[in-house]
Amino acid sequence: MTTETILQRAGEILAPFSKGNSTPETNRLDVQIEATDLPAATSAMLSNDLGYLSAITPTDLGKEVNKLEVIYHFCEGAAITSLRIHLPREDQPDIPSISDQIPVASFFERELGEMLGVHVVGTPDSSRLFLPDDWPEGVYPLREDFTIEQAAPVTPRETLPEMGRVGNKFTVPIGPQHPALKEPGHFEFAVDGEIITGARMRLGYVHRGIEKATEQRNWIQNLYLLERICGICSHTHTSAYAMGVEKLAQVEVPPRALAIREIVAGLERIHSHLLWLGVAAHEAGFDTLFMYSWRDRETVMDLLETLTGNRVNYSITVLGGVKYDFTAEHSRAIHKAMDYLEERIRYYLHIVTTDASFLQRTRGIGTMSLEEAKHFGALGPTARASGLERDVRIDSPYGAYNRFPVSLITAENGDLEARFEVRMKELLVSCFAIRTIVDNLPAGELAVRFPRKVPAGETISRVEAPRGEAFYYIKSGGGESPTRLKIRTPSLCNWTSALNKSIGHQLADVPMLIAGMDPCFSCNDRMITVRRENDSQTLSWSQMREYGIKKYAETRETK
Amino acid sequence: MNVPQNYVNQLMAKITTWARVNSPWAIHFNSGSCNGCDIEILATLTPRYDIERFGVKLRGSPRHADVLICTGPVTRQARERLLRTYEQMPDPKFVVAVGSCGISGGVFQGCYNIVGHINEVLPVDAFIPGCPPRPEAIIDGIVKLLTHLQNGTRPEPITFAPQETA
Repeated sequence: MTTETILQRAGEILAPFSKGNSTPETNRLDVQIEATDLPAATSAMLSNDLGYLSAITPTDLGKEVNKLEVIYHFCEGAAITSLRIHLPREDQPDIPSISDQIPVASFFERELGEMLGVHVVGTPDSSRLFLPDDWPEGVYPLREDFTIEQAAPVTPRETLPEMGRVGNKFTVPIGPQHPALKEPGHFEFAVDGEIITGARMRLGYVHRGIEKATEQRNWIQNLYLLERICGICSHTHTSAYAMGVEKLAQVEVPPRALAIREIVAGLERIHSHLLWLGVAAHEAGFDTLFMYSWRDRETVMDLLETLTGNRVNYSITVLGGVKYDFTAEHSRAIHKAMDYLEERIRYYLHIVTTDASFLQRTRGIGTMSLEEAKHFGALGPTARASGLERDVRIDSPYGAYNRFPVSLITAENGDLEARFEVRMKELLVSCFAIRTIVDNLPAGELAVRFPRKVPAGETISRVEAPRGEAFYYIKSGGGESPTRLKIRTPSLCNWTSALNKSIGHQLADVPMLIAGMDPCFSCNDRMITVRRENDSQTLSWSQMREYGIKKYAETRETK
Repeated sequence: MNVPQNYVNQLMAKITTWARVNSPWAIHFNSGSCNGCDIEILATLTPRYDIERFGVKLRGSPRHADVLICTGPVTRQARERLLRTYEQMPDPKFVVAVGSCGISGGVFQGCYNIVGHINEVLPVDAFIPGCPPRPEAIIDGIVKLLTHLQNGTRPEPITFAPQETA
């Protein structure tokens, strides 16, 4: 289906619920509906295959309008259908849940509840998403009148039991500080012997409140703030943001700048996937591969450094273009590095698909069928490994991807092996794409002048991060800073599948399963309960902690 | 043979210092970082930079670690966990703050979920600036800390000037 037919069809299907349609951009349809019609409208969208739920945007429209706005974005190809719902601006207005139809909506709904103070009726879990335990009740950071003084710490509610036993079932807590992953996340796995029967996770350890912070910074400052959402895919965030803001300001970015952005995006994908390969191999106990892939990753880091001056937060994007030019010298360096990398990547591809002991950890583990991938709303390489053809660079080409397209890589099996295969092949595609752009770099300006104020309006920009689709909703009130910026990162959508797929596997497979989706905690910081057992508890955390300190002091004295 | 107690103590001190300087085991804690510093710390451990040649080894358990390498501003949810990790480490313990956010809060200053920088929660012995610091800088910071340990001194405590109100 083309974008036009999707939007036309969506318009027809949603007509019975519609309280007013609009087309803010050529690839978007905006339908205003009543909150009570939401489940019916969602089921109509899903049964007609008109898109997957990409994000829910909660906004407070302010005291003057006296309304809260919740927008449900459904994406299919380049088409975006938005269901816009207005709620009264009182404490906890009701909105029905759609988690029974779309499992991943459970995250978004809990965010809705705690950030905007909306009561989601029928959501499976309404506990804290990503606000800290000591956050006071009834204070919602996304409300217009929120001040930091309101959020003074309170005594935390009794935290959930973190260790316990029911019959033969144990709950094994993992994290937030644990050796397998370099970022903090707390997991609780209910196990029956070695087999996992339930999984639960709590994030929020690296939640910083960036969405709110963007409203207090100007358009240019935000570029550098958003770059620091994630140190691994920093360019993704700046390019998604810049693309959206440029669209709002109606600034035409020179083709040379777009091409340079795509080169950096390609290099970033290579460094990110090689990093992932190393970490995933480390989880499998294959440390040699870890060291090899990180050694080779340094080749890309050197390229990024020569090109942008930085190894990690490249800051090459500016609003209206890029900062640094690309020279013949860079081109030679890139070709040389690509020669080396392509050879190494082919070798790694060979290793991960043939090494017998490694395959025992990957083949047939965490297998996700195409239907499941669709149902769980998987994104990026995780989805493509199950044969789901979902890639923003191809579905909805942005920036220079119209001029320099990339090819889609999918695999059939949907297990961990397939995810390794897809990522390694994507690296080869990226290497090829980078070579093509370098050889055919358009001439011209690097950047155009960008206004200080951005005209009022709202836009959506989607970018394919190394981990999947990143979704940005940007709203400007015509001033020097955004009035609302919503970010939805790919890891968030992939958690549902990773946790659900862990059930039935051995506890020892968990690190691999988690690493298999390439999670990024700093990008998304939320929590989910897939299934929870009723557990008992012997010691509370504070008792446990006191006990630990006492015990440690005792052993020191006896020495 | 009657060896003076004093001599035994001196010898023991020498041996512990030798061991401490040659195998400072570290634990890494991310209290709200963007991942940039974390991947640079990991890069420091891998073949190109290979900090293991100084005996530095990243451990999974705080009970095994001498040095706590912290990254990122401290978020409200991570604060308790950071303290708990620190408490679990055996004495003597040293804290290294890596990156601008760990030193001052960086770009995240004023965000509603940020408690502040690491020195507001823990006593920090070494600061490594940068956003993120290059692996060479991280090695330099660690080696400076080791030099202090060799001399049996702790780095000078740093007191921060009171924060200007924005």
